[in-house]
Amino acid sequence: MSQARPSAGPETSRERGRSLVSAALIGVAVMAAVDEIVFHQLLGWHHFFDRSTPAIGLLSDGLLHTAELLALVAGFVMWADLRRRRALSAAHARAGLLIGAGGFQLFDGLIDHKVLRVHQIRYDVPDLLPYDLVWNGAALVLLGAGLVLALRARRADPHPRPATGPGTGSGSGTGSGSGAGPEAGSEAGGR
Amino acid sequence: MTAVQTALAALPALPALPALPVLPVLPVLPLPESPRHHHTGGPGVAWSPLLAASVASLASVAVVYALAAHRLRRRGHPWPWTWQACFVAGTALLAAAFVVPMPAGPFTAHMGRHLLAGMLAPVLLVLGRPLRLALRGLRPGRARRAVLAVAHSRPIGLLVSPATAVVLDMGGLWLLYRTPLLAATGHHEWLHVAVHVHVVAAGTLFAFAVCRLDPVRRGWSVPWRAGALLAGGTAHAVLAKTLYAVPPPGTAFAAADLRAGAQLMYYGGDAVELLLAAVVAAQWYAATGRAQRHASRRALRRATAAGPAPVA
Repeated sequence: MSQARPSAGPETSRERGRSLVSAALIGVAVMAAVDEIVFHQLLGWHHFFDRSTPAIGLLSDGLLHTAELLALVAGFVMWADLRRRRALSAAHARAGLLIGAGGFQLFDGLIDHKVLRVHQIRYDVPDLLPYDLVWNGAALVLLGAGLVLALRARRADPHPRPATGPGTGSGSGTGSGSGAGPEAGSEAGGR
Repeated sequence: MTAVQTALAALPALPALPALPVLPVLPVLPLPESPRHHHTGGPGVAWSPLLAASVASLASVAVVYALAAHRLRRRGHPWPWTWQACFVAGTALLAAAFVVPMPAGPFTAHMGRHLLAGMLAPVLLVLGRPLRLALRGLRPGRARRAVLAVAHSRPIGLLVSPATAVVLDMGGLWLLYRTPLLAATGHHEWLHVAVHVHVVAAGTLFAFAVCRLDPVRRGWSVPWRAGALLAGGTAHAVLAKTLYAVPPPGTAFAAADLRAGAQLMYYGGDAVELLLAAVVAAQWYAATGRAQRHASRRALRRATAAGPAPVA
């Protein structure tokens, strides 16, 4: 994995994938922090705990919350490692940040709020629909912008240095959405 | 009945008192405010002989550590000041957790102590690498061999594995808050002491297993330790959320107090989790850096060996 590199050249495709994943992890954590700080604490729209939350929602919420914290740390340490090796692809990292943020927002809006019913966006309004539409619409905009950036980053320099390892071709849109925290964290350590 | 209550009722009914594993009741354990205060209000600190003895023994542990580190430095071996500062701060925090009055309702104050004594202080103690200091400080001889034999023994290896640490730490917490155990600590002094010993010991075990800074039987890789952190953090977060709505059985805390305590547990747990994750991440970063340096040195050696002969 860690070859000698006399000078900083174009990144390998694996390094591009890692740039994207590390930034996506940070994106997930940033969006989770915004959710926690703005909607839970400042606006007080979300409830800390909705008594109607089913047990599975409670469990998934706890798991996701902890995974976000680990994603923040794992993302930053991967990013620092890429910087140290001068192997960070800034264009892929920008794309990853938006994909992570949008992916988390969409997961929160669809799975947490609707499927698992952990809590709703707001409680003291008669019609929740506009809130849900804006929430998930914003998520789709972020996610779409991230995917466009990822494609553009790939097209801008379509010939990465070949990686010597097996992990080639991990360009845009790898499964780096909201659930990527623990897997990517363990991938980061598995070498 | 809410869904949570249904879920909690579905938990296996645990016999509250007799089944509790009898823990070694060490005199090191601080006895905090009289347990009756849990239910009547004011979290004032009642000094008892046990509390005084606990604070004194914590202070002497810190002094012994400082003396050992000092002796090591005088013999010319470096021992980082940051490690020493961490350990001393850990002992101080542990003592403070039981001595300093907390300006909050009884449940919130209880949770604040739990956070300091069971989570934050243990991380600091573990960062001080006490076992490593003992092994470096002790002269070769029977005592050092004994410490080494214990550290490398199979039971200790099992005890400090990430899975055991998660089960003992989080299992203990779930027992405490989701069975009538907490209520029972108000009636039995020895149980109160035992619970606090367990909270401190299990918290230290968890921090030790996740950070793995001291040399024990076998190392666990980063994914295992991150997994333990994920499992432990999840169990902690879920327990905190249920406490927000449903008090521990047999207790009657004011709703506002219960909610404040539950949120303190939730967000305070996050802070300590971040700290633990940062320790593991720093280890990964250092290890990857070492591997990269070795690889580039190897490649350089290969290149010079295979390259053209140097100009004479």
